[in-house]
Amino acid sequence: MSDTLTRTEPVSSAPFVGEGISISLAVPMMRYSLRARQPQALETLLGVKVPTKIGAMEEGIACLGPDEWLLREPIGSKLVSGAGLPVSIVDISERAICLVVEGPRSAEILNAGCPLDLDRFAVGRATRTIFETVEIVLLRLAEDRFHVEVWRSFAPWMWTALTTAARH
Amino acid sequence: MILIHCPYCDEQRPEIEFAYAGQAHIARPVDPDTYSDEEWERFLFIRANPRGRHHERWRHSHGCGRFFNAVRDTVTDKFETTYKAGEPRK
Ligand SMILES: [Zn+2]
Repeated sequence: MSDTLTRTEPVSSAPFVGEGISISLAVPMMRYSLRARQPQALETLLGVKVPTKIGAMEEGIACLGPDEWLLREPIGSKLVSGAGLPVSIVDISERAICLVVEGPRSAEILNAGCPLDLDRFAVGRATRTIFETVEIVLLRLAEDRFHVEVWRSFAPWMWTALTTAARH
Repeated sequence: MILIHCPYCDEQRPEIEFAYAGQAHIARPVDPDTYSDEEWERFLFIRANPRGRHHERWRHSHGCGRFFNAVRDTVTDKFETTYKAGEPRK
């Protein structure tokens, strides 16, 4: 049934391409907010190693805080239930969309609104931060490829802000 | 922009990721029922407001989300140190 429904996206599905930069909407994905006082409880449940350093990312799991992780997976992945364990797993798949910022000018364009020192934000890192006044989760997947997770209702503004910066 | 060291992220981060959250080390009443009006007044409203070294709470709201404590000079706006919530006063 659900595959006959059409998705509506808050930003253009056509990428923005400029000199040294492209900005595009990432494919939809599953997102889970994982909370646990003891990361071992999550490791037992998920069967993978969970990064414990804040800002680190391993196998799609980003450590956002001392007891908080963001797990992103391809659509269709099934997550085990945490029932009975001292963990919280919340499906937040549709809360945010992801913009892919790619190209040699990526860091410069992100720094138009994000105050993080991206020279010290190595590949493989992920963090919650801010762009102007909008909260984002920034993930660095390669030297010149970033993912910007932004809440759906802020996405049109984010798209305009990034593409405006990219035009300058 | 001021950089603030988050004791949880263990990193200097830009000031606008943080939110100020008032004076630090104010203990909640253990037994509120027994508090007199004067004690409530002191707990809710009376603050140190020093000129100089001030112990205060901050939250890394657009980061790890944690509350922590800081010692900041109210004259120079310089952060002397930051430390995790629950650690003794510095
Ligand atoms: Zn932090």
